[in-house]
Parts: sequence; C-alpha cells; structure tokens
Amino acid sequence: MAQQALALDTPPAAPRSPSTTAAAVRRLWFCAYLPNLSLEASGPSKEARVVVEEQHGIHRVLLTCPKASAAGIQPGQSANAALALLPTLHIEERSTLREQQAVEQLATWLEQFTSVVCIAGRDVLLLEIAGSLRLYGGLPSLRQQVAAGLEQQGFEASLAIAPTPLAATWLARAGRRACVRETANIASVLRGLPLACLDWPASICDSISGMGATSVGDCLRLPREGFARRFGSQRLLELDRALGRLPDPRASWRAPERFCADYEMTEEQSDREALLAICHELLLSLERFLLTRQLGTQRLRFIFFHLRAPATQVFLGGAEFERRAEHWSELLRIRFERVVLPEAVIAVRLQGGRNQAMQAASGRLAFHGRSSGQGRRYSMSQLAERLTARIGNQSVQSVTTVAEHRPQRAWRLQGVLGDTAVTTLSAIRRNLYRPLWMLPEPILLRLEQAYPLHQGRLTLLEGPERLETGWWDDDGIARDYYTAINPRGLRLWVFRNRSRATSWYLHGIFG
Amino acid sequence: MPHDSSSLDKLLENPRLWRGRNPAQGMAGLASGYDRLDRHLPGGGWPQHALTEILTEHYGIGELRLLMPALATLSAEDTTADFAEPGWIAWVAPPFQPYPPALQQWGIDLSRMLIVRPKTDNEVLWSAEQALSSGTCAAVLLWPEQLDDQSSRRLQLAAEKGNSWAIAFRPLTARSEPSAAALRIELQANASGTCLSILKSRGGRPAVLHDII
Repeated sequence: MAQQALALDTPPAAPRSPSTTAAAVRRLWFCAYLPNLSLEASGPSKEARVVVEEQHGIHRVLLTCPKASAAGIQPGQSANAALALLPTLHIEERSTLREQQAVEQLATWLEQFTSVVCIAGRDVLLLEIAGSLRLYGGLPSLRQQVAAGLEQQGFEASLAIAPTPLAATWLARAGRRACVRETANIASVLRGLPLACLDWPASICDSISGMGATSVGDCLRLPREGFARRFGSQRLLELDRALGRLPDPRASWRAPERFCADYEMTEEQSDREALLAICHELLLSLERFLLTRQLGTQRLRFIFFHLRAPATQVFLGGAEFERRAEHWSELLRIRFERVVLPEAVIAVRLQGGRNQAMQAASGRLAFHGRSSGQGRRYSMSQLAERLTARIGNQSVQSVTTVAEHRPQRAWRLQGVLGDTAVTTLSAIRRNLYRPLWMLPEPILLRLEQAYPLHQGRLTLLEGPERLETGWWDDDGIARDYYTAINPRGLRLWVFRNRSRATSWYLHGIFG
Repeated sequence: MPHDSSSLDKLLENPRLWRGRNPAQGMAGLASGYDRLDRHLPGGGWPQHALTEILTEHYGIGELRLLMPALATLSAEDTTADFAEPGWIAWVAPPFQPYPPALQQWGIDLSRMLIVRPKTDNEVLWSAEQALSSGTCAAVLLWPEQLDDQSSRRLQLAAEKGNSWAIAFRPLTARSEPSAAALRIELQANASGTCLSILKSRGGRPAVLHDII
C-alpha cells in the first residue's frame, strides 16, 4: 500500500489528516526574527563588543558586533582568545532577562500596527496583518514602516510574510525576504529551506539529515505515518500547521496593564537637564503605552537609582487622568527643582499608577473659551497640579462647610487633587453673624477688672449667642459668644466659657 | 493728506496710559458694593485685570468686608461673559483661617475657593503669579511679607495676562515703597470708625473716605 506523502496537494482522508478549513479565514502573518538580539538588547554601542555565554565552565563568544568580527573574533571562541585578539574588546555576559525585556518592548511598540502581536520563542515576533494592510497603505509600505522602526530602535531583523505563523517564522529564520500571500504557495516556498530554520532539537535534525533529508522539502516527501512514529507527532503537527492544513491559533501578547520602564545609563549622570531629558523619553513611551490602550493615569513614580546611596523616589500626582508626555514633563520640571539627589544617577525607572479608560479628547468648538484670544491657558485642576508639584500636597486646599453648630467643627479642609466631594449644604441660618477670620485655637484673654483685654479693653457690641453641647463626641462646649470691638477698631468674636465663668477667649476676627 | 489716527486711538485705550482730565473710557470696574467708594474709583468700581494693594496696620479691621461684595459677585456669576465656568478665588498665604460659614454667608461659592499656604515668601509670589496667569482665577488674594517694585510689576502683568484681579494685603510701612499697582488703598480704623484713603488710583484721583464699611 502506497503511503501518503506529507505534501499532498489534496488533503488525505486518513483520520490524522487535516482539512483545509484552516484557510477559510484569510490571515497573513508577518514575522520579525531578531538574530542578534543578545547583542542588541543591551543598547547601542560604538565600541567593539561581544556577548559571551558560559558553556561547560568556559565563557564562549555567542555573538560579535561587526567591529569585533573585523578583528577576527568568531562565535565559539573563548572569551580569553577574543581578548587576546582585541584587548579593547567590551565583553558582556548574556542576559536572557534583558533579551526578554527588549522583545516585550518591541512587542509593545508593534502593537500600533495590529492588535495581534505574538512573542513566539525568545527572538521571534509575529504580527497578524491581514486587517491592517489598507490602513498602512499596503504590504510594501507596512513592511517598510516596521523595518524602519526596528532599525531605528537598534534591532536588526529578518522579515518574512506568509499565511501561517510557522511558515513565516521559518522563512524569517532562514533569512529569506519572502512574501507569500496564498496558502497554496507555501509548500513550494518552504521546500528549499534548510533544516536549521525549523529550530527543532539537534538530535532530531541529526537523524533526519542522517536519512538523507537536508531540507524542509525533503521532509515533506517523507511518509506521514513513519515520520510521526520516528520523530513524534508534534513535528508532523508543526509541518501541517506551517502548510496551513491545521489551524494554528496564537495567543496575542498583552503588555501589563501598569506601565514600568527603565532607562539605564552607560555612565553616571548628575546633570539635571540631561536627567529631565531621559525622563521625557520615558514619559513618551508611557504616552504611547497609554494611547494604544485608550488609558490615562493619575499618579506616576520616578525612581532614580544611585551607585551607593539608596534610590530617590519622586511622585507626581495629577488632578485628572492624563497621558500627555508634555503635561507630565512640565509637572516633573517644577517638582524636580525641589528634589535633592544625594549623588549621580545610574538608572531611572518610571512606574505608572492605576490606569483609567480615557478617550482621546476632541477639540473644542470655536465659540467655547474666551473669544479675545487670551483664552484660558489651563484648567483649574492643572493650576492645582502645578501648585502642589512645587509647594507640596498639604499646602493647596479647598474648604467646605459642615452642618454643625460648634464653630470649630462647622467647616473642614479638603484636598484639591482627586477629592471630588461637593460642598455640604450648610444649615447655617442667614441671620447668624460669623467672623471671616478664624483663629486655629481660641486664645485666652487677659482680664482687667473683669473686662477682657486685646490691645486694650474690649467693648461688647452684640451677644450673647449661646452655643452648647456636643456630648456625643466628648467635645462638648458651653460658651456665650459676643461681638466685641477694641480701641484700635478691630471687631472680634470672643466667648465666655460658662463652665469657668471668668475666662474669656478670642476665637475670630471680623476681617 | 489723510490722518491715520487708529494707532493713537489704540494707544489711548490702553489702561496703562494715565490721562489727567478725561478718565479712560471703557475701563469698567467691578462694583465694590459700597456706593461712596465706587464714585471715587475710575470705572465705577474695583479695577479688573490689575493689581490692587490694600495697606492696613492690622489684619481684621475690615479689609475683607471691603472686598466681600465684589468677591461674591465674581463667585456668583460668570463675569467673563461666555460659556466657560465661573472663575475661582485663590487665597495665597492668608494670615488666619478664612472661616467657610462666614464666607458662605457673604455669598462666596466655597466649591470654587482655593487656599494655598506656601512655606516661603518666594513661593507666595510664585503661587500668586501662577494663579493669576492661569486664567482660571477670577481673583487672587495674597498676603506677601515683602513685595518690591519688580514683584508688583510681575503680579500686575500676570493679572493682565490671565484677566484676573490681584489683591495684595500689605502693612502700612509699605506706603512709601513704589508699586506698580493700579489702585492703592490705605485702611485705618479706631474705635470710632474706619478711614479709607485712596493713595493711588490709575485714571482716578486720591481721596479720603470715612466710615464706608
């Protein structure tokens, strides 16, 4: 019985064989493979450098920059051999964490092109772009924008486009600048790819090539059942998915809901303007982050790391949810004037606080605002933000009244930022006369022949108004309030404590 | 040869230009609520979008009562005459606590009141300037320890820029110091009554008024 080959044009009828329904929804996958990620993840550098990785106790060169390879350094050499070739060589230990952060950062950036971005493996990014082509002006234009953006961020990428994610990945790994749009054409394009681009375990690749199959096309010619038995059904599944015969659902990557980004400096920085510029960079990425999610944030935290001293934290608070980098930058500039940095800074971290959905603002109609052209420059909340940024949160307040008969409890302070409590409607009767100025605490007045004194003998004008009790909160009072005037013309609000009949207090001034 | 007088007219309209005999036209003041005072102020009230200085020996002799009707007007209606929200009233470094129930009795909208308590005198001036130039404050009351000529000019410019009314409270000793204020008023009081002197009034004349509050 003739066995079915893997790459049959018509779907086989065997139960394991897939159907073509996977291609029912047209998809187009854009793959960006980052071959030099380990090197590029540590940021741009002008010096010759290599990334080393420990293998069997020896640090071996993993990747080299063009300058290092020009000096004759090759991957696989030991770190010592590389140093002997180029004494000024900059050697970096590979950091998978840093690589992961770099890939996630790129994924966040790529989210502007499509809502489906996947991180496949440690150095492959996949974008589903079928729905984005019209918006970005067609495939060549979109491809060019992605390539330019990646290059600008210092990443060399190998790009490929195919109707299935695996085919795109393999093409990109093989370095083919291919663009396959039809599922039917996948097999013919994949045929010439070497086995290495499959990223299968070395033992499997070795045994496949031991059978005389050296390319993906050779694999596709192998009998299905035998292939699955020898190399595992997982490999067969991958081939089917690459050809578009089986669906290959991918979970799209989602950036964490809270923003957190670091900026590491190559050398210590103490120049405030330079630090502000770095913070502005971070704020710009925050703005991009929030904009793609239609979010705004109200609180931010900057952490400035020092070499020896503990890190300095700077909090920024806003009255409203906001995402514009200019807005936060301006607040930071005001706040930064008062920040004392114990020593130079080696890294800056920006953390966003709680986010809230925020629509992009529409422009106001022309007849709103002042027509004279000297329109309102910024809103009240922005003014409050600016004031609190410079002189502190406790120093900017608004007041409200409380329905309460005891004068010292008839009002309270409330914060301006974030506090949206409306003024309590007071039950004060209109005919009660209250002073405009209140003293924080009543002042005990000296007496002269039983008359109270304050810059001279007081004359009582009106009163008494008896205010009593508060037994329910242990702050009871028993006072007779009078309006008095002193020889200098000050109208005062004084009271006599009825529990101690001879003591007089000054409580307010009728300004 | 035709005369082009438009630039001259524009110059004459500038409120900073003081013309002795003819009080400047179109410089409407904000009614103070005290008719006798209004009659002596150019424009029939407090000069708007400008700096007013009130000099007193003590705080509490009636300087707030003098302002309250005008502040209540600002608080109650939108004097900017468009659809924007009414202005706020900012108190920068008040010497005591402004008592909300009394303010409410005078008709001040407490939900549009901002109290700023900076720690240094520099911050007092900075906060006042910010509030004035923001364009959101209808009036800014400030109690600076020092206010030199240059600072008063800055406040005056900020008030013009933000269409706001700056009111600076200063001690009597400031009387001899130069100031860019549009209006300077001295307030004295004794047991028998108060005495208000208009020391300087842009477009107006000095005057002495007794017992208006």
